[in-house]
Amino acid sequence: MSKKEKEQILVRYGSSRKEREDFLKAMISPEGKPEVLDDVVVLDVSYANMSGDIASSIFAEFGAEVIKIEPPEGDPSRKVTPYGVNRNGVGIPFIMEARNKRYFTLDLSKESARDDFKKLAAKAHIVIETFKPGQMDSWGIGYRQLSQINPGLVYIAISPYGQYGKKAQEFINVPDSDITSQAASGLPANIGDMEHMGEPYNWPLKAGVWLGWYITGIEAALGGAVARYYMQATGEGQMVDVATADAFASLVGYPVTMGFTWDRARPRIGRHDFAIYPYGFWPCKDGMVAIAAGRDHDFRGLLKILKIWKEEDDWRYVFDRIPDIVEQVEKLYKMIADETMKYTSDELVKMAVDYSIKSAKSKWRGGGVPIVMKVQKPVTTMQNPHWAKRKSFTEFEDSQLGKFIMPANFIKMSDSPPRVKWVRCGIGQDNAYILDKYLK
Amino acid sequence: MEDYFNYTKNLFDPTKVQEKPEVFKGLRVLDFTHVVYGPTTAKILGQYGAEVIKFELPWVGDLWRFGVLWGSFWRHSSVCFHFVQYGKYFFSLNLKLPKAKEIILKMAEQADVVVENFAAGTTDAWGIGYSQLSKANPGIIYISCATYGQYGPMRFFPGWDLLAQAASGVISLTGYPDTDKYYKLPDYVGDFLPGNVGALAVIMALNQRKKTGKGQYIDLAQTEALMRIIPNFTYHSITGEDLGRSGNTDPTMAPSGIFKTCDGKFVAIAAVTDEQYKAICEAMGHPELVNKYKDTFERLKPENAKELYDATAKWVGTSSAGNLVELAKKHGFSFAVVEDDYDITNDEWRRERGSVIVFTDDMYGKLNIPGPSAMLSKTPGRIKWLSRPLGYHNRYILKKILGYSEEEIKQLEKERVVGYWDDRPGIKPPVYYDIEKDPIFNYKGE
Repeated sequence: MSKKEKEQILVRYGSSRKEREDFLKAMISPEGKPEVLDDVVVLDVSYANMSGDIASSIFAEFGAEVIKIEPPEGDPSRKVTPYGVNRNGVGIPFIMEARNKRYFTLDLSKESARDDFKKLAAKAHIVIETFKPGQMDSWGIGYRQLSQINPGLVYIAISPYGQYGKKAQEFINVPDSDITSQAASGLPANIGDMEHMGEPYNWPLKAGVWLGWYITGIEAALGGAVARYYMQATGEGQMVDVATADAFASLVGYPVTMGFTWDRARPRIGRHDFAIYPYGFWPCKDGMVAIAAGRDHDFRGLLKILKIWKEEDDWRYVFDRIPDIVEQVEKLYKMIADETMKYTSDELVKMAVDYSIKSAKSKWRGGGVPIVMKVQKPVTTMQNPHWAKRKSFTEFEDSQLGKFIMPANFIKMSDSPPRVKWVRCGIGQDNAYILDKYLK
Repeated sequence: MEDYFNYTKNLFDPTKVQEKPEVFKGLRVLDFTHVVYGPTTAKILGQYGAEVIKFELPWVGDLWRFGVLWGSFWRHSSVCFHFVQYGKYFFSLNLKLPKAKEIILKMAEQADVVVENFAAGTTDAWGIGYSQLSKANPGIIYISCATYGQYGPMRFFPGWDLLAQAASGVISLTGYPDTDKYYKLPDYVGDFLPGNVGALAVIMALNQRKKTGKGQYIDLAQTEALMRIIPNFTYHSITGEDLGRSGNTDPTMAPSGIFKTCDGKFVAIAAVTDEQYKAICEAMGHPELVNKYKDTFERLKPENAKELYDATAKWVGTSSAGNLVELAKKHGFSFAVVEDDYDITNDEWRRERGSVIVFTDDMYGKLNIPGPSAMLSKTPGRIKWLSRPLGYHNRYILKKILGYSEEEIKQLEKERVVGYWDDRPGIKPPVYYDIEKDPIFNYKGE
């Protein structure tokens, strides 16, 4: 079967196929397109908390002029980096979030600097801060004071437990970090092996990604964008309060709702999934493959391609396969693993794709779409030609930071896409520019 | 001057949320999505006041109506469906029939946003793609949520949260180094996070439309959204090495980790700054460590980080969680107790804040629902109702928005253009509920 035929089976195109492809291709590169926030000035005074830098990066990618304000010795976030790896004293996460920003030094603990900050805030549209609740207010540059001089200001505050309520007050001296944000919002409690696997594998496990800080950063940007939209409509600014201890629980909702309906905590179930099975990854000859074949007809398809149809009777329905009985689910896991071990990942992917095409072609439908995908490491993800075609990674160069690759261009939009124009982050490198443009 | 916490308490008062204005009031969102990723994008817009109309196939319904944990439904519905779909209008329409397409095109003329998450190109094939709807309404903002995006050689591959995690490499990062003990991220966060990014993109497009009057098309690949949040690519390009897994410590901070206390609780501790490092050393009674590793980068080197991790583990192992909380408050270092589902949903603080909402629904009764992730002082996000049975709002939408008469609706029902539920849990109303008396389901019109 030719490639074209295959594609036609997977998707029945309308008449405008060529037109659509050209349109999509033109969307891949953001160059020359307008920027949404090109009339917005953001002051980012986040300190020792990368979630603020993440939020301001997102605004910067959408075209805002983001001024990162640091004390003369720099934000301690610059040194938060895996195993101490750095370029010229700047750590990798900080480089990652140094997108399109301006760097200005101001020591807000000094009275005179606060006057400058007030002048900047009078001209700004968004402020992002991560100090302890009430710190900016006690300096006379909190939302309460700034909204007097600039009623349209959107003021985003990030802290572990928010800006109001008893716990915010009680924990005022406890600073924020990604791992504590994860712990407090119910993430590690739901990762890790089953009870009988022994310590430390059955302990709550931290996510290997900065999920606490990235969720917080994205939510802060989202809340800020909503507030900005309201400001455009009415001229009124407002305060946006993000608590990092809410991050995971508020994003996915499961901890809140399952804790209520089950009236107890869910156990940790290792690689299994509560609702869908198989939905996880299995070993094969050359690594791991992810398999998702949860619906009954998908599962039947999987049994067929793995040539274990004889087992169908025992595992026919979703509710036969859910992992509520440990022995049973481990039996099923092993049954699939015994077969996947006989093949390489490429063979398994091909078997699944061939099957899916055949079942999609059948006029009877219902043949199922078992999905098999090779488990990638970030290093191998970078080599995938799909992302090259979508320009998902970009190489940047800076005199101080050298050459490096970053994931950029992560939202494709036809009219006003986000983009990364430059990456650099010398302390105070834009002092003259800021003084000249805003403080003369 | 008024006390800061009094001021903020009044500013954000959760009891006044329903009285405050809604940002997106008057915006209409057509939601052709299913499962979690796309629906989340539409939900966020609804949370801030947009009118979200969710389309489903009659007698079939969204797959996620049956997505229940360990097979248990709650009042004949899926709780997982409730918090992904709350506040929407449930319209059940058979897209295959020409009459249904007419209805959609008519609705698109007055709509502001369209969200879909079918396989790449499917909506175009059905005649409701961006190329078609933007002709009827140039102001329309159309977002396609797919796992690999709409363009590129892998665009037709089907995907879920799991596959996005596998394709981005995120799946291999959570677990113990030098073993094959690693786990996917739980609770479909690979759907929820990109779903929120989708909402962000739509809001930016709405902003742009305010300036230009024109809508646009958004192609959001779930996998790319996950790739955006990991530093591993940059790390690799700088060091030439794979960053890999780090078990229960965060390699960007030392000491850091999740530790077990002497009373069997788990706590997370981290030193983000030099001051916090000093605070931890003092709290654990090893002030000599402060001078040993003055330099942050030096401290982060694997062998030194290991030494600090071991010292912290030993200290935590002989302290109680309650004692450690007091030390964290006194000395000022990052600290949190590991909270599970039960702790979170029963947490007084979260209820007071509004991040856990004890919601009472007309149809389903009491359910704890997550509040918005960001609290806005003037235009807070809110929840109006939980999800509804399949086709619950058919009459309401056809009469109120499209101006159909009762006879015309009966005709549509006869031709099976619109439809309802069958006897399966997940799509039908709870047994105790008398649907015949429901004023919205039996909407009479003005």
